[in-house]
Amino acid sequence: MFQVRPTQLARLALPALLAAVAAGCGVQAAPNADVLKIGAYSVVREVFHEALLPAFAKKWKAETGRELYFEESYSASGAQARSIASGFDADLAVLSHSGDMKLLVDAGKVEPGWDAGPDRGVLTHSLVVIGHRPGNPKSVHDWADLAKPGVAVLYPDPKTSGGARWNVNAIYGAALLRAREANPENPDLAPVRELLAGVQGNVVNMDHSGRRSMANFSEQHTGDVVVTYENELRLRAKEGDPIPYVVPPATLLIESPAAIVEKSVARHGNRAVVEAFLKFLRSPEGQAIFTEYGFRPINPTSESESKTADWPRPQTVFTVADLGGWEKVRKELYAADGLWTTIAAERVRNRGK
Amino acid sequence: MSFGSLMAQRNSRPSQGLTIRAMGLFYIGVMVVLPMLVMTYQAARPGPRAFWEAVTDPYALHALKLTFVTAFIMVAVNVVTGTATAWVLVRYEFPGRTLVNALVDLPFAVPTVVTGVMLVALYGPSSVLGAIIGEAGWKVVYDQPGIILALLFVTYPFVIRSVQPVLLELDRAEEEAAATLGAGAFMTFWRVTLPSLRPSILTGAALSFSRALGEFGSVVMVAGNQPLLTKTAPIYIFGEVESGNRHGALAVSAVLLACSLLILVGLNALQRRGGTHDGE
Repeated sequence: MFQVRPTQLARLALPALLAAVAAGCGVQAAPNADVLKIGAYSVVREVFHEALLPAFAKKWKAETGRELYFEESYSASGAQARSIASGFDADLAVLSHSGDMKLLVDAGKVEPGWDAGPDRGVLTHSLVVIGHRPGNPKSVHDWADLAKPGVAVLYPDPKTSGGARWNVNAIYGAALLRAREANPENPDLAPVRELLAGVQGNVVNMDHSGRRSMANFSEQHTGDVVVTYENELRLRAKEGDPIPYVVPPATLLIESPAAIVEKSVARHGNRAVVEAFLKFLRSPEGQAIFTEYGFRPINPTSESESKTADWPRPQTVFTVADLGGWEKVRKELYAADGLWTTIAAERVRNRGK
Repeated sequence: MSFGSLMAQRNSRPSQGLTIRAMGLFYIGVMVVLPMLVMTYQAARPGPRAFWEAVTDPYALHALKLTFVTAFIMVAVNVVTGTATAWVLVRYEFPGRTLVNALVDLPFAVPTVVTGVMLVALYGPSSVLGAIIGEAGWKVVYDQPGIILALLFVTYPFVIRSVQPVLLELDRAEEEAAATLGAGAFMTFWRVTLPSLRPSILTGAALSFSRALGEFGSVVMVAGNQPLLTKTAPIYIFGEVESGNRHGALAVSAVLLACSLLILVGLNALQRRGGTHDGE
């Protein structure tokens, strides 16, 4: 009768045994080697890990005769910025947008003049695009099509995903620029709001990250369209899972920055290699590797032009600066009384009508 | 199985008891109390007014409400199905019972994110089941029912595992007496068995409720995470942390924490009053 041996609840409460934490995984440079720590956002993982790092290590060895080891950390842009700000000693910060870089400047980790150079601190270019099902059955070509009834839209949650902010900014920006065109003095924001609310009303699910959103679209077949970075879709195609996409007539240029974390470099004493690496990343050679992974070059050359000749060309490309900069956009869209924040409430009120 | 009875077991030798007690208290202090104190302190630091504003923010308030409502529904289901499952496992012989008994704990072993992915694969809009549900005009995944489904999965073992041992130890003589006196099977269960099980059912209910208040991994996958619609408190907290509103996140966390504490303390008190039914 009593052969069942029930697991006692107490067993679940077994105290979590703390393993000895290997403290101080500090950078230990061998006499003939350099170490470079990278704190990056997840989108660049493939291009860094598979291509850029091995290419530069080889180059560095050829130039200086020294071995180069990388310590790599990839996570969501905001989380990465916060971890560097609170003490993670990455030498190089590669983030999704300059709003996150501002966190590092405020924390005293990155110099205020990090974006003063000819490239304005930008490392990669890409576009906000719309991925769709084969044959584009819902006939989606522009942002307004995302608000049509019956179109199931995916983008991640702007609260948690830097990628989602780029996406929403693109939709907002395209509508705002049109409103400004009609009336430069006093643009009518009603259609802007209407578009954002319409699109948001069609969003089936807001994943917490861009990658998760893509996986949902491609593996779980959720949604008709996914708003995402062009380079994410091109990377998928490279990895054998192509998702067709359209570039809306007016879209946002994604400018993702990189900067040297002065505090860490001063501590590790590896300025030469960090500077050389950053220079390599922005060089035509580095940018060509980025292009292979779906990014657009920051300084188009004739060679890079020929490589991206068959990529879709949008009529209008605007930047966050055209919309007033990250801080202004953040306030206007995502603050407590921001446009995007408040349309959620509106949408719920209209639900079922 | 009650916490009260565990606490009542004192060691006979006073000096050894003192050391053990000190160690036990120190451990719980460092592992549990300290981190929560720090959190509560940080949540309270900007003052009661800021705290109140953070908690009554319409988005926060909706998230809290949704969390409690879904957790309550989950508990109501769990109390019935958990007790029934424990009953079946203890009172009936059937082939594969050992295996079924082992399966009960499995939801604890699955990472909750995987639970979420599994549920989306099973009930999601592109699955066969999801399509059928959609035809019927319902929505499970990316809507509120999905949250309850996820909570049911991750809290599945709690009620079963607290009822089962009590049921095993239960003296069947009382039930037999009831039957002899002419009570039917249902009457016997309702009037004789259930009162003995009630404290353990409550324990399971409270544990699963507390667990559900903090559930993140599975819910973030299935809920859809739309503010004022399907964003539960833990997901709201995550979003506020990610977008730099640390205080808003901490204030809502403090509310969740206080509720869990209240439930567990209340449960302990209830059990101490409830008497000694658990075979001691």
